[in-house]
Parts: sequence; C-alpha cells; structure tokens
Amino acid sequence: MSAWEKLAALPREIVLTIVLIAMIVPAIRPFGLPIMVGKMSKDWYNTVDSLPEGSIVLFDIGFGSGGYPTLGPCAVAALHQMFEKHLKIIIMATALEGSMMYPLIMEKVKPEKNYGAVYGKDYVFLGYIAGAQTAMAAVLGDIHTAVKEDYYGTPIDQIPLLKEVKGPESYDLVAYLTTDGGIAEGWVYQAYSRYKLTVVGGFLSMMTPSLKPYYDAGALKGILDGIKGAADMEYMTHHPGDALRATDILSATQTIVLIFIAIGNISYWGARLSKKEGES
Amino acid sequence: MVSTDVGVWIAAFFTIVATSYAFRDNIFFRFAEYTFIGAAAGHAIVMGAKNVVLYGWTHIVGGEPSYWIPIILGILIYTRYHPQYYWIYRYPIAFLVGIGVGISIRGAIHADFVKQIAATAKPLIATTPLGTLNNIIVFVGTITALTHFIFTYEGIHRGAAGWIPRIGRWMMLAAFGGAFGNTIMTRFSMYQGRIIFLLRDWLGIIH
Repeated sequence: MSAWEKLAALPREIVLTIVLIAMIVPAIRPFGLPIMVGKMSKDWYNTVDSLPEGSIVLFDIGFGSGGYPTLGPCAVAALHQMFEKHLKIIIMATALEGSMMYPLIMEKVKPEKNYGAVYGKDYVFLGYIAGAQTAMAAVLGDIHTAVKEDYYGTPIDQIPLLKEVKGPESYDLVAYLTTDGGIAEGWVYQAYSRYKLTVVGGFLSMMTPSLKPYYDAGALKGILDGIKGAADMEYMTHHPGDALRATDILSATQTIVLIFIAIGNISYWGARLSKKEGES
Repeated sequence: MVSTDVGVWIAAFFTIVATSYAFRDNIFFRFAEYTFIGAAAGHAIVMGAKNVVLYGWTHIVGGEPSYWIPIILGILIYTRYHPQYYWIYRYPIAFLVGIGVGISIRGAIHADFVKQIAATAKPLIATTPLGTLNNIIVFVGTITALTHFIFTYEGIHRGAAGWIPRIGRWMMLAAFGGAFGNTIMTRFSMYQGRIIFLLRDWLGIIH
C-alpha cells in the first residue's frame, strides 16, 4: 500500500476523534467569530417585527428530540421576539414529540416572568394534533371544531385567546419549525395557497435547498435555516443562547470536514497518478 | 460542578453510548438503541390512544354519532391481518388516500407549479448585478436540467445539442453538492447540542 493509499484509508476512529476535539475545544473556549446575519433570517425577523401588537400567531412545534438541538434554539429566539412584541401566540405541535419539546422551550422563554404574559390570554398550547395536513386544514379552517380542549384539558371555549379566533382570517401569521418535509410543504399548501396567510418556516439545514424555492416564490416570507438561522435570531433578538455558542463549534468542525475532503481528493489523485507512473 | 441529577446522568450515559457506535458497534450501543425504540413506541401508543379519545370518543359521547364513521374505518384497517377478510382494509386506506390527496392537491398545484413557474419566468435583469446573475443561473439551470429528463428524443442527448442536458447535469450535481454540505451541517448541529449538554448540564465545565 502506497503512502497515498494509506492516507486515503485513514481509520475512522482517528477522523471521529479529531472531529470530537474540534467540537469540544470551541465549546470550552469560544473563538468569538463574527456573525453575518442571513437574508432569510432577517426576513423572518422583519415579518414578525412588522406585526402590530396583539396580532395572532399560529406557532407550530413540528419537531421532537432529534431536531431539538437545531430547532429548539430557533423556537426559543422566535418566541422571545413574539412575546417582546406582545403578539398573541397559539402554539400547537404537528410532531408527536412536540408536546415534550414545549416545556423545554418555555423553560427558557419564561413568558410570565420575562414578559408578563398570561397563559390563555396571551398564549395557549394545544398540544399534538394528529393528521399533518388534515390537522392544519382543520385548525386553520375552524379551530373550535378541530380542537375541543388545550393541552392541559381546559375546554377551548373557556380560553379567552381562542375566543378571538373566528376563522382563518384571524391569523396574522403562521410560523412553524419542523424536521418533516411533509409538514414544511403542508403549511405552505394550507396556510399560504389556500388562505393566503403570511407564513414563515424554519427547518433543518439539509431541508433548506428543497424548500427555498417557496421562499424565492414569495410563499414563505422568511426562513430559519437550522442552527445558522437560530444563531441569527439570537443575535437579532439580543438573546444569546445555545445557537450562538454552536456557531464556533460548527465553524471548527466544518473546517475539519473541508480539510478531510481535500485530503481524500489529494490522496485519491495521488494514488491514481503513482499507479499510472508504475504502469508506464 | 458535575450534575447530581439522576436524569442528567441517564441522558449523559445514553449520549455517550449512542456516540460509541461511530467508533465500533458494541452491546452498550445496542442497549441504548433498543431503549430508545421501546420508549418511542410506548410514547406513540399512548399518544395514539389519547388521540382516539380526544378526537373520536369525546365527540361521540358529546352527542355526535357521525364520529363512529372514522372509528369504524380505523378498526377496519386491522382486517389486513385476517387471511380471509384482509381485502377490507383497502377501503379505509382508499378513504385516507382520497382525503390526503384532496386536501393537499389544490395547495400543491398553486405552490409547486403556478408559483414556481411564475418565480422562474421573471425578467433576467434584476435591480442588483448579483440578482441578475442569480436570475441567469436559475433560468439556465431550469431549462438545461429539464432537457436532461427528455427521454423520448435521443437526439437531445447525443446530437449537436448534447451540451444542453450536460450543463443541466452539472447544475444538478452542484445542487446535490450544496444539499450534501447542508446535510453535514445538520448532522453536526444536532451533535453539537449533545456536546454542549455533556459539557454544561452534566460536567458543568461551561456555563
């Protein structure tokens, strides 16, 4: 085995150990690299910022524990902005584990303590609603028929905030964060195409290339692109959290990945060249 | 300071043993894997039962007998396990497919076809030079990538115009590269959350 081939066959244990070190070091000692806020995140921020006080937002937690490290910080930063603006937020979950993510998010937002928000009046949590697009269509069309009680068992006709919702026209904004491509498209189909509502979406970075055409076409007014979007939101809302800390970690690990891709290509071409030379 | 919370220790243990698979398969990883599957299945069953009660039974006892229809259709799905009457399950499935398609098709046509065609067919000249470049790339990419999928006329791939689908292929490869880069970022961003959890919530090294 030539030196090139040995380089190409670098044991994965070594690669993973280097990647782990590249994650741990910036987590302990952040580099403090500057943040460049992306246009898609800025558009999300500006869309929410332009809403008058008291506007009603339908907010979907469409992710579970797997998506929490990425979309959890997005949700926290987005809700900080919404509560700061004194918007009225109807929170629901289209993901089965979404109900379990809700307390983790609210523990960080602390709407009662930080913004004096009152549950039932300023925000409400409906829990997981099964059915994906069927659930979206039902909630947008007639929430009073679709949902009988909130997550805690309170009948919705006893919740002041939900009395303000008469139909789809009552929603001033639909905001969602999801790890599911079907849910991401579903909100565009149901909220934007059907009811012409303003929609903003956040998803995993790997989903962004396939969903960005909706943003380019104006169906989505803003996008939070994974942890980068979360970091942008934390920066813009002045609520630094896990995402801003993660940017240094990601910069370090992405650099390592780039180096390994370069090493892989150099060793491949080197091995091919030395093989050709050996044959001639 | 290291956490004294048992829950944090359990989460830390499962994070570490789940990561250990990246180095080599081992019995601890399999224990974590089976535990996760069991917990997720248990949660799904409880939530499923809760949904039946919340969106079905509550309505029936509230004096809405029409809700028996979805409940009966739901029960009929299980006939697929019966050797003789398995064909009955096709009716609830047909119902589900029909409802699903009916609900989404209108939005899909508007958002996926009408809006996308309108967004692609915009003027090439934008207000900024970068915008103009973007529009040209979108225009060239759309046309050339579409020609790559013309299979009924061989001449487009082999004739003098063969460079058109070839550009389309390169455009798609560039898109796949972008998607792959985003996938790497997503995976790392998921794992960095666990690293922060281990260092902050478990070991208390960072704040």
